[in-house]
Amino acid sequence: MSDTTAISLVGVSKHYAATRAVDDVTLSVAHGEVFGFLGPNGAGKSTVVKMILGLTHPTAGEIEVLGQPAGSLAARADVGYLPETFRFHDWLTASELLHFHARLARVDPSLRAGRVGELLELVGLKDRANDRLSTFSKGMMQRVGLAQALVGQPRLVILDEPTSALDPIGRRDVRDRIRELGEQGVTVFLNSHLLSEVEQVCDRVAIIDHGAIVAEGKLDALLSAQEIEIRAGDGAEAAARQTLDHAEVRTLDGRLRVRVANDGETATLVQRIVEAGVPVYDVRQVGDSLEDLFVRVAERGDV
Amino acid sequence: MSTHLIAFFTLREALRRRVVLAAALLTFGYLVLYGVGVWFGYRDLQNTPGGPPGLTEGVVNLMLVGGLWSLNFIASVLAVFLSVGALSGEVDQGTLHAIAARPVRRSEIVLGKFVGFTLMLAVFIGVSASLMILVVAVITGQVVGASWSGPFLMLLASMLLIGLALAGSSRLSPLPNGVIVFTLYATALIGGVIEQIGDVLESAVMFNLGVFSSVLVPTRAIWDMASAQLATGGFAGELSAGPFGASNPPSGWMLLIAGLHLALALGFAVHSFSRRDF
Repeated sequence: MSDTTAISLVGVSKHYAATRAVDDVTLSVAHGEVFGFLGPNGAGKSTVVKMILGLTHPTAGEIEVLGQPAGSLAARADVGYLPETFRFHDWLTASELLHFHARLARVDPSLRAGRVGELLELVGLKDRANDRLSTFSKGMMQRVGLAQALVGQPRLVILDEPTSALDPIGRRDVRDRIRELGEQGVTVFLNSHLLSEVEQVCDRVAIIDHGAIVAEGKLDALLSAQEIEIRAGDGAEAAARQTLDHAEVRTLDGRLRVRVANDGETATLVQRIVEAGVPVYDVRQVGDSLEDLFVRVAERGDV
Repeated sequence: MSTHLIAFFTLREALRRRVVLAAALLTFGYLVLYGVGVWFGYRDLQNTPGGPPGLTEGVVNLMLVGGLWSLNFIASVLAVFLSVGALSGEVDQGTLHAIAARPVRRSEIVLGKFVGFTLMLAVFIGVSASLMILVVAVITGQVVGASWSGPFLMLLASMLLIGLALAGSSRLSPLPNGVIVFTLYATALIGGVIEQIGDVLESAVMFNLGVFSSVLVPTRAIWDMASAQLATGGFAGELSAGPFGASNPPSGWMLLIAGLHLALALGFAVHSFSRRDF
């Protein structure tokens, strides 16, 4: 693991009896990166998160967090975590929850009160500081959970579905917080179903399905791979296959669908089809969003 | 070390959730009822002429040991109810996730909860036993059972149950864990009765079965030691050896067995919980 790596997973697997929840995952997240971790329900996302935090023990493989073995006290010393369930002891007040976690995170006693006040203000709960969590809505619990994750001023923040219970304004606020953390050099590992959220804040993403990583890279690079739809005469599919033998070529409703890496490949493809004597009537680009990428993965298990 | 943080947190949770308040109110009600019983019992005793010397002291002592036996039972039930879901219940609810992700050892979580519950039971037993001794002293004018070791042994019995419940809770859900711990507690209770009957009937098999149950779960044996400390005077001692104590209280070795039992239960709880996946 290099000095620039905040999280490193090498050949990590987690098996439960006959089920392979996570299978041979290798992944690395750089310091200061805002990393999106995506996948359909049951793909293994939360299991990976729990293994990074040492809450779940891997069956095989090596995990390092901030240069320390995952699960060690040193690895957890600089990590903030918002669990997917955002369930906290609801007999506490918001302020008491943050004070308790500040103590667990070993925040200097002289700084605790100030830090707690700042965070409650940041997540818009200053007026509810002394109210019990049992009176909080789901969205408020998620916001106080975010404050809890940040109370130790961590170098790495792991957010498991941080906006699932929030309204659009709350989501925007959390996105702003994540951006701010990224600007401050804090590494953010964002586990989310909300693709627009990931698309807006993440530098890099990985997609997991059936316990295995099926796509990983910078968002721009992943999304630059696009699908084009060509309306052409007979013989276009054969010409396309000869031109881009690596590409995914299929026919849908009488039209040719081809996955290309960039616009240059599109131009070459059209040129070859024409050179093969096949008339081309129409070429248009379809699907270039993260959602399309995600849906392809969820449906077929690859990109 | 975060053990004290978890212990304080555990105590505060019991106070905030009004577990302690409910137990205190019920125990107060029980003490009032008990006081009325002692008052009438003592009045009848004084109105009964004759009897062997030391009878009054013996009966008063029996009433106190019987009362403390009930408090010991309440403390045992409280110990099991408090700790039976302390680990697995919280993992299932998700409330431990954020805490366990902090730089906190799993052993600190287990031991913190053990210390928190023990402190709570110490206050419960200390206050309620003292009040009971006071009630008897005020009504009868006799100070009996004023021994530190009795309540301490009662606390030890509760600590054994907390240890067992935490060991089970490291893996099992609250309901099956509760069933198992109460079954073990009942086994020890019944084992004590079998041991007493075996002693009277001079049946070695019954006696040994009772001893075996005490080694398996020493809660009843520790209570027998406590009742022997609380029963004062020869005649009183004979009376106390009824349903609330043993005619032959266990030797000091039982303390060693209890200590070993507690260490094993806590050791298992820490080992098992440390390897548990959330």
